[in-house]
Amino acid sequence: MTWLKLVEGYMPMQMISELGLSILVFVLVNWALHRSGMGIPKFWAGVGVFVFIQLYLKYRIYPPIPFSVRAIYGTVSACGIFMWVSGSEKEWQEFKRPILNVMDGITNFHQSVRTAMLVVIPLALGGFAYSSFLPSFEEPIELRTVHPAPPATTKVHGKTFVLQVVENPYRVNADGDYDQGYTDARIVEQAMGRLMKDVNDPNYNPWDPNADGYIKYVREGGEIFFQNCHFCHGDNLNGRGLWAYAFNPIPANFTDAGTIAQLQETFVFWRVSKGGIGLPGEGFPWASVMPPWEQHLTVDEIWKVVMFEYWHTGYYPRTWD
Amino acid sequence: MMRTMKIATVTAACWGMLAGAGMWPGMTGSGWAQEELPEGFVAQGLPQAPAAESVEAGKRVYFTKCVWCHGVDGAGDGPGAVRLWPRPRNFNVGTFKIRHTASGQLPLIDVDLFDTVSHGLPGSAMPPWEGILTDQQRRDVLAFVTTQLVEDRSWQDEEFEEFFVLDLESLSPKDATSESIQRGSELVVEKKCIECHGLEGRGDGNAFNLKDDWGFPIQPADWHKCWNFRGSRQDPYNVENIFRTFSTGLNGTPMPSFADNTSVDERWDIANYVNSLCERVMDIAVPEGQVSGDTAQQLADGEALPIDPLTDKPKSNFVIPSKFVEGDLPTEADDERWNLIRRRWIAMGGQITHKPRNFVNRIDDVWVQALYNETHIEFLFRWNDRTKSMQEGEMDWDPTEVNLDDYGVREQTPLGSSFDKDPFHKESIAAKQNRYAVYNDGIAFQFPIKWQELPAPRKPRYFWGDETFPVDITKWTADGTVAVYEGTGWDEDFTEVDFAEEVEVVKAEWSHGRWTVILKRPLKGDYDEVAYLEGGKYIPMVFFAWDGHNGDVGRKMAVSAFYYLVMEPPIPTATYIYPAFIMLGVIIVEGWVLGRRANRRKAGGQV
Repeated sequence: MTWLKLVEGYMPMQMISELGLSILVFVLVNWALHRSGMGIPKFWAGVGVFVFIQLYLKYRIYPPIPFSVRAIYGTVSACGIFMWVSGSEKEWQEFKRPILNVMDGITNFHQSVRTAMLVVIPLALGGFAYSSFLPSFEEPIELRTVHPAPPATTKVHGKTFVLQVVENPYRVNADGDYDQGYTDARIVEQAMGRLMKDVNDPNYNPWDPNADGYIKYVREGGEIFFQNCHFCHGDNLNGRGLWAYAFNPIPANFTDAGTIAQLQETFVFWRVSKGGIGLPGEGFPWASVMPPWEQHLTVDEIWKVVMFEYWHTGYYPRTWD
Repeated sequence: MMRTMKIATVTAACWGMLAGAGMWPGMTGSGWAQEELPEGFVAQGLPQAPAAESVEAGKRVYFTKCVWCHGVDGAGDGPGAVRLWPRPRNFNVGTFKIRHTASGQLPLIDVDLFDTVSHGLPGSAMPPWEGILTDQQRRDVLAFVTTQLVEDRSWQDEEFEEFFVLDLESLSPKDATSESIQRGSELVVEKKCIECHGLEGRGDGNAFNLKDDWGFPIQPADWHKCWNFRGSRQDPYNVENIFRTFSTGLNGTPMPSFADNTSVDERWDIANYVNSLCERVMDIAVPEGQVSGDTAQQLADGEALPIDPLTDKPKSNFVIPSKFVEGDLPTEADDERWNLIRRRWIAMGGQITHKPRNFVNRIDDVWVQALYNETHIEFLFRWNDRTKSMQEGEMDWDPTEVNLDDYGVREQTPLGSSFDKDPFHKESIAAKQNRYAVYNDGIAFQFPIKWQELPAPRKPRYFWGDETFPVDITKWTADGTVAVYEGTGWDEDFTEVDFAEEVEVVKAEWSHGRWTVILKRPLKGDYDEVAYLEGGKYIPMVFFAWDGHNGDVGRKMAVSAFYYLVMEPPIPTATYIYPAFIMLGVIIVEGWVLGRRANRRKAGGQV
């Protein structure tokens, strides 16, 4: 049933199209039933559509949406249904007929429904009031800035780096000069799974024993990553490592377009070197378990691992121009 | 010739193990005839060799995604391997854990290996690749691994390979009734499962003498954490996974196949019992593995924990509720009053922020409950730990010292990352697992001192506070002591607080792979020295745990995220009064509406 799964990142589109499609199907079925003289009474059709939308929002959508949002959607859908059932005087009469029948208690059955409603409505509202008055202790929501403004300079292993001008010493072309164009051209393919274009080309395969320069540094960065970083950031750099489930804030997902893809390489260098404890207050330095990597790695190792993260995810670091 | 020898050795080793354990069904000869297939298995032909293009495409996948742990030659010796336990698989000999095929046989590529790659192996570093690699990419990488990296055997080798496949589709699971569970609990004793997995199934039976085929230490599974079962396929409470593992065994590990000495019916009973032991919403005691009819019924009715689809672990909730009780607080873990409140699952990760980092955390979760009365709060901690660890002799350092580098407590540096530099990976974390100096087990929790004055959302650092906002750390160690320290930073020595004299260890017991520790502390002490606990507030809290046999001491430990303790105040009277008024109001409105309607009808108005 994989096709039934909600596609990550496309939830709003999927929700709108699924809901739209179901309502279209309903309208067609209802129309066909009416044509054959077995139409669903207007009242029950309206109630049915409303209940369906509520159930859809509650059980189908993942991650779950809060009650307050469902209440807003519920009001909107109720208004829509009201407009539909009150389109003409005849339809409106047809819609309220069952309600009036119950209020008037025209048959024994309607009378017993009326009695039941007299009891159920106060009880339901009272119960709802009780549960909203009952003190509840939900998880507090705390908003944290994931990418706070970096400082102008950072001092790592006794050396000061000016973040605006510093360059990754390992992002080099065949002549050994800094060259982002050269390394961008050798980055892995931007596609699902982000794979190397041609593993047999020695220029592309970091594991080629003869690999030299940029691609060799990528491998060295990868070795550091897989001995230090994957425990949290995961074997696919998607933030789902071994211990991701234990920590809050959760580890960054580098494959997401919102992390390293929109950052400069020097920003990442600063974040890696100084870790959670080095964040400004809006980044919640007290809660992050990200190590200040200057305690574990050399400056060279940090540059290599940063470069590996770009290579493996297939993103290019943002530049100043 | 070489290959024949190897297969013979592996096969002989497998049978030898079975025979040694007294489970050998009395088979003679070297091959299986069709009629000798174990119950529930069917013979299947050899798969077709993959296309050359698929192998080529798979090589590209392998050298981007897999090589980092599994290594260039697939020997499980990539750079990641030195700090991993369980270790990455060595593909060369063609030994795979999760299979539908009989013990010792190769797995089904498009079922077993494909599922392993898709769903990962929980409890290890192998992640699920579904959604990262396309179906085709996963098939390609398997084509590469099975043809190029598995060296000693071949799926196309008609002479040596056979596939006896567990036909799960034709075997519908037996209902997990209390009778089935009870029978399963007897069978795990009879079939000697408990020798490794322990009387109560926490993997504490033979935790220190087991090795995998490559000589690395390996632990028996903890049945209480089904989400860590390698073969759980992102569906941990599914009994079929357990049935499959039990029927086919885990190649490369001491876990044998039980297909030959159990009937299918017995296997379902055992699988139902093992599945029922996996933690549920409520804790269900199985003392000494003795399952009475009542216990079996409780196990059968237990409500499964909700699993978070993003992590494949139980869902976390960062609020730890604590309820008020009249009079004295419980003195035992089985006190009825603990049922007033749901236990919380605290996920624990290795401490990897500062040296010495803990790359293997044997404690990966702790269960916590809290109750309070007018003067005290009491915490019930329960966590699984296969070994009771008590340090022999005195510690070289003072308990307040936190920088233990000078005493030789250091983290493991990655030495050779390939077998060329370190043959047999003797220096790897996996090889060193059971050779640590043993320290005390322990558990600790921290509160910010003067948390009432914290400017939201500021908190003291999770790791023993900071200079601006110190914390109080209550720490219990397995030598029976409890201490309260003031912490002002991860590398600042603690200051001892005499509040410890008022903290009571109500109970501390290790039994069948689980610690039960009850700690009671006064709600209030010196406001400037310890956290002053008040009801109705969110009080930040962090947990730390040490496993002495893992060499955990000082900063080498397991740690949690921030949680909040909330001491729920008694329900205010208004909660009952307002709804009553609302109900009365609704009834009046109803009467008015119906009255009006009746009047209009009487007056001959609109009907």
